[in-house]
Amino acid sequence: MIKLDFEHRQAGHCESGVTRNLLHYHKFSISEPMAFGIGAGLFFSYLPFLKMQHAPTTSFRVWPGQVFDRATKELGVKTAIHTFRNPKDSMDKLNEILEQGFPVGLQVGTYHLPFFPPEYRMHYNMHNMIAYGHDNGTYFISDTLMENLVEITYEDLMRVRFAKGAFAPQGRMYYPTFVPENIDIKPAIIKGIRKTAYNMVGIPFPLIGAKGIRYLAGRMRKWEKKLGPEKASYYLGQVLRMEEEVGTAGAGFRFIFGAFLEEASTVLNQPWLKEISVEMGENANKWREFSYLGSRNCKKRGKPDQSYDFLADILLEVANREEKIFRKLAKIK
Amino acid sequence: MENENEEIKDTKAGDDELIYTYNREVFYHFDKEKGFTQKVDFQNPNNQVIIKQSWDAAQQRLDEVKQLVIIGKSSPIAYYMEKILMEVPMLAAYMEIPKWRVKRHMKSKVFKKLKPEILSKYAAIFEIPVDQLTNPDFLNN
Repeated sequence: MIKLDFEHRQAGHCESGVTRNLLHYHKFSISEPMAFGIGAGLFFSYLPFLKMQHAPTTSFRVWPGQVFDRATKELGVKTAIHTFRNPKDSMDKLNEILEQGFPVGLQVGTYHLPFFPPEYRMHYNMHNMIAYGHDNGTYFISDTLMENLVEITYEDLMRVRFAKGAFAPQGRMYYPTFVPENIDIKPAIIKGIRKTAYNMVGIPFPLIGAKGIRYLAGRMRKWEKKLGPEKASYYLGQVLRMEEEVGTAGAGFRFIFGAFLEEASTVLNQPWLKEISVEMGENANKWREFSYLGSRNCKKRGKPDQSYDFLADILLEVANREEKIFRKLAKIK
Repeated sequence: MENENEEIKDTKAGDDELIYTYNREVFYHFDKEKGFTQKVDFQNPNNQVIIKQSWDAAQQRLDEVKQLVIIGKSSPIAYYMEKILMEVPMLAAYMEIPKWRVKRHMKSKVFKKLKPEILSKYAAIFEIPVDQLTNPDFLNN
């Protein structure tokens, strides 16, 4: 039996919440937006050739695992990351690390996660949670999505750690092994902002970043004609689900990133960042408006409330705003 | 901009009741005066609409496959795969066989000749007994 003294704190986004909570356990406290920003979590990509749940994939965040990896690296925190072939080995290793007194981050699939809200139990392999102890085949879990601490059995935990399909977790576990004292977060913040700006406006590929939002807008205009009203509303719904559902804290992470900029402006003592955080907040509200109007189309499948052209125009506006914001942010010193 | 937001809030209040109230989550908000704030709440009704949309779509797909199985065009594997919300690549990964074989097993002609080992492996993934896989209840009704 081992049960570490772990403070559960809910978060908007699972991975940055896990990163924050793990670092907090090692006596280094930053906010969730800080972890997200330093980890350069914000992103946009629209991949029409990659179908998820029968509709094109839209993503508002970077690859799973990157937020933790980048944030810890930039902060000079030493970490250990393991993946496994054999499920039993992965559980033995987990026990071993817990007994050494480290809470462990786990990547899991959500379909068989017993404590998860039923409405989210789909095959989604990029969820993150923390194990902080075990007793006689029961594991103590802190999941940043959930209000309270939860538990899971050995069998169930093994199963969700070895869910298969796209982004299969392969038992991935990760934890900080050494957190230095007196970390200077300023350079890490600057690097995080630079990296995010590069991801959003610097990559010369049409489906990514601000260009990707424009591309999606262009595609959206043709959906109704090409796919019929029913399927068009399903495609739109898929974009909105990625934007608003599990773990984005609203508006496809734009709120979290804005909160990060607000905090960064104080820490770095650069007031212009505060202005940009306001622009980011307004931009996030625009995204929220988009999802609100869009959700009405999803409700009345056959007769859309708003034309897809109108929704695409909002996306274009958002793309222009983000392009402007990140061009400015790219120049940070 | 602010007026538009006011309008949205007003119409929100008139929307349907919440469907999903299992767990409260953290959401961020932005307001020009208050800056960024956090709030723990259920998903708002508009987002619940789009969550429900995907469950409705899954149910619709399931009903369609059911018809195909009843008329003998698809095998029950296609039905149970849809039932646990999987698609071919994922089922193939769980079965540890190539995708084209899973697709083949979805034809009822091929399905009838499947070996018991393969059938029981499928049944284990679908979490049903083998005879329910070979003879689903909806076929008897």
